[in-house]
Amino acid sequence: MDAAMLYALRDPAGVPSHPLVFLVLGVLTWALHIAAVQVMLGASALTLYGAFSRNPYWRRLAAAMLSTAKVAVSVAIVLGVAPLLFVQVIYDPFWYTANVLSARWVIGFIVILIVAYLAMYLFYYRNPRLATQPVRGAWHLVISLLLMLVVGWIMHVLSYQMLLPEQWMSWYAPNGQIDPSGKSLHGYSVTRFSFFILLSVAVVAAWLFAYRRYLMGRNAEDAGYIAWLLPLAHRLMLVGGVLAVASGALWLATLPEKMAWFATSAWIWVSAAALLATAFFPRLLGHKLDQSLWGYVPFALGAVALIVVGTAREALRYFTLFGSHGYDALDYKVNMDWYSTSLFFITFAVLGGVILGYLLTVAWKAGQTEGVYTPSRAITRLGNLSIGLLVLWVVQFFAVGFYVWAR
Amino acid sequence: MEYIGLFPMWYEPGIGSGWVVGLIATIHVLFSHTAVGAAIFFAYLSTVSYQRNQPELLEFIKRYGLFLLVFSYVLGSITGPGIWYSTTVASPRGISALIHSFVWKWATEWVFFVIEVVGVYMIIYLVGKVDRATHLRISLIFGIASYGTMLIIIGILSFMMWPGKPEWFVEGGYLNGFYGANTFAQLAMRTAFMFTMTAVVGGIVAGAIKDVAFKREITRKLALLGMASTLAGGLLFMWYMNTLPDSAQVMVANRLPDWFAVSLVSVLGGIFAWFAVTWLQPRLLSPALAMVMTVAVLVFGLWPEEVARESIRKPYVAGQYVYSNQVIARDVPGMGIKSEIPLIERKGFLPTQVFVPAQLRVVTESNALHAGRSLALTTCSNCHSLSSTGMRPLAKYFGGNTDVAQVKTYLQGTLGTGNTIYMPHIPLNDAEAYALARFIVSLNPQSLRNPLRTAAAESTALVAPTIKE
Ligand code: HEC
Ligand code: HEM
Repeated sequence: MDAAMLYALRDPAGVPSHPLVFLVLGVLTWALHIAAVQVMLGASALTLYGAFSRNPYWRRLAAAMLSTAKVAVSVAIVLGVAPLLFVQVIYDPFWYTANVLSARWVIGFIVILIVAYLAMYLFYYRNPRLATQPVRGAWHLVISLLLMLVVGWIMHVLSYQMLLPEQWMSWYAPNGQIDPSGKSLHGYSVTRFSFFILLSVAVVAAWLFAYRRYLMGRNAEDAGYIAWLLPLAHRLMLVGGVLAVASGALWLATLPEKMAWFATSAWIWVSAAALLATAFFPRLLGHKLDQSLWGYVPFALGAVALIVVGTAREALRYFTLFGSHGYDALDYKVNMDWYSTSLFFITFAVLGGVILGYLLTVAWKAGQTEGVYTPSRAITRLGNLSIGLLVLWVVQFFAVGFYVWAR
Repeated sequence: MEYIGLFPMWYEPGIGSGWVVGLIATIHVLFSHTAVGAAIFFAYLSTVSYQRNQPELLEFIKRYGLFLLVFSYVLGSITGPGIWYSTTVASPRGISALIHSFVWKWATEWVFFVIEVVGVYMIIYLVGKVDRATHLRISLIFGIASYGTMLIIIGILSFMMWPGKPEWFVEGGYLNGFYGANTFAQLAMRTAFMFTMTAVVGGIVAGAIKDVAFKREITRKLALLGMASTLAGGLLFMWYMNTLPDSAQVMVANRLPDWFAVSLVSVLGGIFAWFAVTWLQPRLLSPALAMVMTVAVLVFGLWPEEVARESIRKPYVAGQYVYSNQVIARDVPGMGIKSEIPLIERKGFLPTQVFVPAQLRVVTESNALHAGRSLALTTCSNCHSLSSTGMRPLAKYFGGNTDVAQVKTYLQGTLGTGNTIYMPHIPLNDAEAYALARFIVSLNPQSLRNPLRTAAAESTALVAPTIKE
């Protein structure tokens, strides 16, 4: 696959903003996606462990983590849509080829994800009171977790096959015979996949610190449980940190030749520093963890670390395709479109900011309140503003539309 | 070296990739319409509950919300990306054309998705935990955001059929591509039918109401909404058909089966009758019956609609410039897009395609069959199955013709000239026409059952006709 071929696969319509904008948004939204995935995997695993424990605290944790996992799947899916969009804007030659060559698995991905999600719900319906009653049908959750890993594996293969254009032809037409069935997963790296999956341990540990802080705002009866959570979160964070560094090192040690430069690049040092900072930060905080909003900071820091890791992952892709294959994702033809570009950023920053700010504040406050929560005047005004902004958005949709139509 | 940007092919011998996409899309339409319908209905119930001070209604939302919203929501949110993934593998350049013109619109829709996902959990889990005015606010946010996703996707779907305004081809620009008479007609029609779906799906919820008087009130309201929206939808459908461009009108006149209009009218009539009956006899309404009705609307309403939409945009898959077989069919100066037909006419498919094994780039007597298969895969298999099952099996159209020269003449005379309205212009030089003809002749239904299943099966299948000669 020479550079001329790769460039020919680009979409002739070009892109409506500078390609760098899509690349950056891709990295940011992917980091959020993988954070949700890791919370989901970690929470499922904790649920599974806790469900078999006799310790009432473990059982309570299992119930809470089950609710977390259920919501986290939804969040992981919706956050996955954004990088799915952006990756095919500037890396379309690679993304489409990688998908078509494993087409059957791409379709399988949908079915497997549905089964995995339903299995999680079935487990929930069989165990509405997991905190107090013995677990039933645990295999539902085992299956769900395993299938989620299969889904992640398919994602991994698609991401990885993008990086190996030199092998595409031998996958598509082994010995010169075209095989259009898309039945195989061709390119993968077990160590890379393990790294992203094992990060779940540290991420769910950070999540536990936040969960603990959230409970502290509620009532005093939880004191025993809250105290019990602390050493657990610390231990998981330590184990998670070690696992991340070890599996990361293993991944770097097994990079194929054309990507070997990555192992010693600055990207790695920065990522390692960010991960280690996240792992040690809760210990550094000590008692402060229980004061004001500090308990939420480990998770916020973890999110930043994931953005750094995501950036390194992107650097690996960009420079590998540029250096070894002569494809520069950033020289995409631009057909600048100001209207849709600004509409997105306004919707994202203003509507997204205000509305999600309102919704999450209400959700958080309601969780912290005993009985019925009635928002303050200021928050209610934010709610009315949210509705107003949405109506305004719909009005501009039609106003611009009728204008264009009549022109 | 110049290339045309065709991706590798995915070929599904059983039912064909087109049907895989169609199935996933139809299921998604059911789930997503159910979700939007339920969201609007719940916003309504939430309002009633607030105005009349009937908190039990919110309990009701909570119970059924869990079932309806989470299920249609969970499955809707997976089948949504599912359509995307399946079109990615079935028609990469089709989806790519939409993405590259409308990425910001999709990104904007994504903001609404995020709001929806947060909102849906809050509507369910915050019942009784926040005051009712706040719950109502959240329901309204959720309802409008849901509708926002529809506003966006309709413009993109309209473009897929036909760019909003013809100026788009010359001037380019997102607005010209997105907005046009067809966009608004489709939006109005879909909005009407969305309320029809709301009324049908609302029946699942209303059927379970215990309080007889209240059940009657709600059921009748739903029935009125249903009758009005079905009527409006039918009329708007006619408007919609009138906004179709001439080429699509020709397709409608020639390609849609005669029974299509009859079936459409009877489906709408049937739905109307359903609402009339539930208006007259609200107590007959049960969740099970309403569910049967929901599925019936899916099978007899949505599926034929998907199929019809698919067939009237032939031979294009997106924006009237990307052919179903992925070749760029015409210049779009507004976007700096060049037709790939001239290059194919000059040099042929095999030398200019990226994904062709080296030994097939030049047709020879010994590789003709394989080269022909490669050509059939890229130029025909998006619309014609190469096996005996699936969509329009190619073998059937050539009915066991074994005369290579005759088939070759046919290919060059029809497809090669681009005179068939529902098929792309497929220029074939002598060597490539010969290769394709050799392959088509080898598909003779008697001698071969499933010539393209896999590479392994192929080695036996393809050898057979070669030896025969
Ligand atoms: C855009 C989709 C599309 C592509 C690509 C396509 N066809 Fe067709 N073809 C059709 C449709 C639609 C029909 C009409 C089927 C019917 O009426 O049952 C058709 C009909 C035919 C017929 C029947 C005669 C006729 O003119 O109606 C033949 C023969 C045929 N196609 C051959 C081919 C060959 C060979 C190729 C590839 C070189 C090809 N087609 C590519 C859509 C396509
Ligand atoms: C719920 C189960 C899921 C899991 C466990 C999962 C896991 C992963 C993992 C591990 C990666 C990184 C692969 C690598 O770089 O080697 C990844 C990437 C990705 N995921 Fe997911 N994922 C899930 C669901 C989804 C869904 C539903 C979508 C789409 C809606 C999605 C979209 C993506 C995309 C687009 C990428 C690649 C981004 C890029 O390369 O730029 N994922 N996922």
